[in-house]
Amino acid sequence: MIEKGKISGSQMAIMMNPAIFATVLLLVPAITAKHAKQDMWLSPIWSSLMGFLAVFLAYKLNKIYPRNTLIEYCELILGKVLGKILGALYLFFYFHITGIIVREYGEFVSGTFLPHTPMLFIFGTMILVCSFAVYGGLEVIGRCSEMIVPVVLFLYLVIFIMLLKDLDIRNMFPLMANGLAPSIKGSIVPQSWFSEYILIAFFLPYLTNREKGLKWGLISVASVMFFIVLTNFTSLLLFGNLTSTLTYPVMIATQYISIAEFLEHLEAIVMAIWVAGTFIKITVFYYALTLGTAQWLKLSDFRPLVFPIGFLLISFGAWSAPSLQELSHFLSTSAPFYLLSLQIIVPFILLIIALIRNKFLRKKETATG
Amino acid sequence: MILDWKKRMRKVLFKTSDKKLPLEQTDEKALTAQDNLSNSLQENISALKSIYSKCPDVIFRTFLIGNSQKAVLIYIEGLSNIEEMDKNVLSALINLESENWLDYSVLENLPVSNIKQVNKIQDVINQISTGNPVVLIDQHSQGVTLGLAKWEKRSIEEPSAESVVRGPRDGFTETLSVNISLLRRKLKSPDLKMFSMNIGRYSQTQVVVMYIDGLVDQTLLEEINNRLSRIDVDGILESGYIEEFIEDYPFSPFPQVLNTERPDVSSANLLEGRVVILVDGTPFTIIAPITFYSLFQAAEDYYQRFLMGTLVRWLRYAFLLIALLLPSTYVAILTFHQEMVPTTLLISVAKSREEIPFPALIEALIMEVTFEALREAGLRLPKQIGSAVSIVGALVIGQAAVSAGLVSAPMVMVVAITGIASFSIPRYNAAIAIRMLRFPIMFMAGTIGLLGIMLSLLTIIIHLSTIRSFGVPYLGPMAPMKGNEMKDVLIRAPWWSLKKRPRLTGSGNTNRQSYGQKPGPAQEDEQEMNKT
Repeated sequence: MIEKGKISGSQMAIMMNPAIFATVLLLVPAITAKHAKQDMWLSPIWSSLMGFLAVFLAYKLNKIYPRNTLIEYCELILGKVLGKILGALYLFFYFHITGIIVREYGEFVSGTFLPHTPMLFIFGTMILVCSFAVYGGLEVIGRCSEMIVPVVLFLYLVIFIMLLKDLDIRNMFPLMANGLAPSIKGSIVPQSWFSEYILIAFFLPYLTNREKGLKWGLISVASVMFFIVLTNFTSLLLFGNLTSTLTYPVMIATQYISIAEFLEHLEAIVMAIWVAGTFIKITVFYYALTLGTAQWLKLSDFRPLVFPIGFLLISFGAWSAPSLQELSHFLSTSAPFYLLSLQIIVPFILLIIALIRNKFLRKKETATG
Repeated sequence: MILDWKKRMRKVLFKTSDKKLPLEQTDEKALTAQDNLSNSLQENISALKSIYSKCPDVIFRTFLIGNSQKAVLIYIEGLSNIEEMDKNVLSALINLESENWLDYSVLENLPVSNIKQVNKIQDVINQISTGNPVVLIDQHSQGVTLGLAKWEKRSIEEPSAESVVRGPRDGFTETLSVNISLLRRKLKSPDLKMFSMNIGRYSQTQVVVMYIDGLVDQTLLEEINNRLSRIDVDGILESGYIEEFIEDYPFSPFPQVLNTERPDVSSANLLEGRVVILVDGTPFTIIAPITFYSLFQAAEDYYQRFLMGTLVRWLRYAFLLIALLLPSTYVAILTFHQEMVPTTLLISVAKSREEIPFPALIEALIMEVTFEALREAGLRLPKQIGSAVSIVGALVIGQAAVSAGLVSAPMVMVVAITGIASFSIPRYNAAIAIRMLRFPIMFMAGTIGLLGIMLSLLTIIIHLSTIRSFGVPYLGPMAPMKGNEMKDVLIRAPWWSLKKRPRLTGSGNTNRQSYGQKPGPAQEDEQEMNKT
C-alpha cells in the first residue's frame, strides 16, 4: 500500500463535509433558486439521495476489494487494458474537477476581495498550502480537518444566528405551489455535488474501522444536507425570489449582519473562514488525485507527484473556464450529466460487473473445490 | 583518485588525532585507564598521577594503616566531605592497632554508609571525578570508594520561571540527587523507577530517566533509551542540549518536549504515563512526550478550583490567538479591509495615522522589532540596568515615537497588547515559537490581507498535524479526536471526573481514580430533611 497512514471513520466524515459543502454555498443557492423558487430548501433533501447512493456504492465496492481504491479496482474489475483506460479517464476527470474547484475559489476571492491580484497568484498560494497537507499524507489531512472543520461549521452557524432578525418567514410561502416538480428540478445541480461522495472510495481502504465506513459516510452526507438546507433557507427567507439573481447569495447575506452597529461588514472574516473550508475541499480532491495517479502508474510513493500535480492544477484552474459566467453556465447545465455519469453510473456498472464476476468466481471455486 | 586521496588523508588525520589523546599516551609498562588495578600500590599511584597530571585539585594522601600497610586516599578538593573523611576514614585506619597482616575487609568495615568496591582504573577515575574519595591499599588489586561526595550547592528555592499563587514552592536545583529525592518525596510508590547513563565525552554528565512502572508505555521507554544512548558530544551542560538531540522534528518552531523546574509538574506528568529526564547540573527537567495543548497548561490550573482553571485556560487560548494574529490582523484590516472598521473608529484611526510616513506593515514591523529588542535587552542585562532599559523603552515606544509622528498611537496599543498576550503563555519556549511565527504572518497580511493570515494559519495547522512527539500526534487529543481526554484540553474538568489517564501515553491500567467520588451534600442530612 502506498499510503501507510490510517484515519478513523469520524475523521473521514469530518473531512468529507467541507469537501462537498465548501463550494456548494457559493453558486448553488442561486442556481437552485432559479428552478425551485420558494421550494429551494427542499431541493437539497432530494439531491442528498444521490450522496447516500454514492456512499453506498463506494462502500459496496470496498467490501469486495477492501484494500484497493477506485483506480485500483477499475483494473481488477475490467481487466488490464480497459481498466487502465477507465483509470486514466477518472484521473483526467479529477484533474478537471479539481481545476474547476480551484477556479471557483479563485473567481470568488478575486471577484469579491482582491480584484487587482492576478488570479494565478491566488491559485498558486492556495495550491502551495494544500500541497503541504497532501505531502503529509492522509493522517495529516484527517487531523487538519478535525482541527479546522468544527471551527468553520460553528462560525457558519454563528453567522446564521446573527442573521435571524432579518429573516422573513413569509418568503417561504406558498409551500409547494406547483407540486414537487420544481424542487426536484432544482435538486439536479446539487446532485452533482453530492455525487462527489464517491471520493470516499479513495479513503475507505485506509479506515481503522472499515465496517463503520458506511455509517460515517451516511452521517457525513446527512450533515452536508443539513447545512445546505440551512443555507438555502437563509437565502430564501432573506432575499425571497431575488435569490436567483444574485451570484453569491451567502456573501450578500453576510452584509446584512449588523450587531450593535459595531459588528458590521464581516464579509472579509466570512471569506477567511470559507477559505479554510475550501482548503479542506481542494486538499481532499488533490490528495485523491495524487494517490490515484501514483496507483495508476504503480509507483511506490505518491509524494514525488505532489508538486508536479499541484503545478498542473494551477493550469487546469486557469483552463477550466474562460470566465465566471461560463463556469456558472457549465455548472448549471452540462456539469450534472458529466459528474453524475462518472461518479454514479460508472461506479454502479463497475459494482454490477464486480458482483457478477465474484459470483462466477465463487461458482468456479466451489465447482473445482 | 580524489576519493582515495581523501581516504588516505582521513586515515593519517585519524591516526595522529588518536595519538594525541592524553589518556592513551603511555609507555608500554605503565597502566592505562582500561586496565585493572595492579597489585602494586606504587604502580597504581603513578598511573593515576600520570592521568591526573597537571590537576593540582586531585589530592593523593598516602598513609600507613596501623603503621604497616601502605595505603592512599585519593579525592578532589572541594568535591568531598573532608571532615567525614578525616574522622571516619583516616583516623580509623591510621589508628588501627592490629599488627597482623591486614585483610581487605578492613576497608569494607569503615564506618561509612555507602561503600563500593572498584577494580578498574577507569572506575576509580569515574568515582573520583564524581566526588567519591577512593582508598587503595598495597598488595591488593581492588580498592573501595566512599560515598562522601559533598560540594557547595544551591538550596531548594521557589522556581522563578514558573511561579504559582497556590501550589508547592519547591523547585529543582542543579544537583541531580536532590532533584531525584524531590520527586521521590512526591511519589513514594516503589513503582517509580529510573535508569541512568552518562553522556558527554568530557562532561560525563549523569542523565536519569524516571518513569512509573505500569503506567508508561514500554516502547516509549525503549525509544527514549535509544535516542539518549545515540548522543555523543563533548559535553551536556543543560537539558536543552539533550532536547535538541532527541526531538522528532528539529526544524519545527514548536517545542516537542516540555521543560520544567517544578517537581509537582514533573510528578503530575509521571502519573499520566510520561517520562521525565533529569540532567545533572541544571534545574530544568525534560518531559516527553507532550502535545500542543500541554504547552498551555500551567500547574496552577490543577490547584485552583476547576471553574477558575477552565476560565484561565480559555483566556490563554484567546491570548494565543491574539499574540499570533493581532498585529497582522490590524495590518490586514488597515491595508485591505477598511470597511470592516466602524466609521467612528475608522476616523479616529485615520486621524492618528495622518502624519505617519510608513505603510501599516512597516509601522508594525518597526514597533514589533523594537519591542522584541527591549524585551531581550531587559532579560539579559543586569537587574540594575534593566529598569533603566524599561524606562527608556517606555519613553521611546510609548511617548516619543508617537509625538514624533513615527508610529500611530493605535499601533502602540496593538503591540503592547500583543506583548502582554505572549507573556501570558505559561511555557516560555512556546511563547518564543508564537513570537517567531508572528513576523511571517505579518508579511502575508501586508501582501494579501486576511486571506494571507488564513493561509499562514492553515500552514501552521498542517505543520502541527504533521509533527509528533515521541510517536504521539502533536495535536492530540483534539486531532485525532479522543473525546474522553478533551476533558483536560478544552476545559479543566473537576478532579473527580478526570477518571481516565490519557491513553496516548499510558497504555493498560487506565483508571486513575475510583468511580463515584463526585461530592455533594451529605446523604443522611437530605433524608432527614425529607422526613421533616
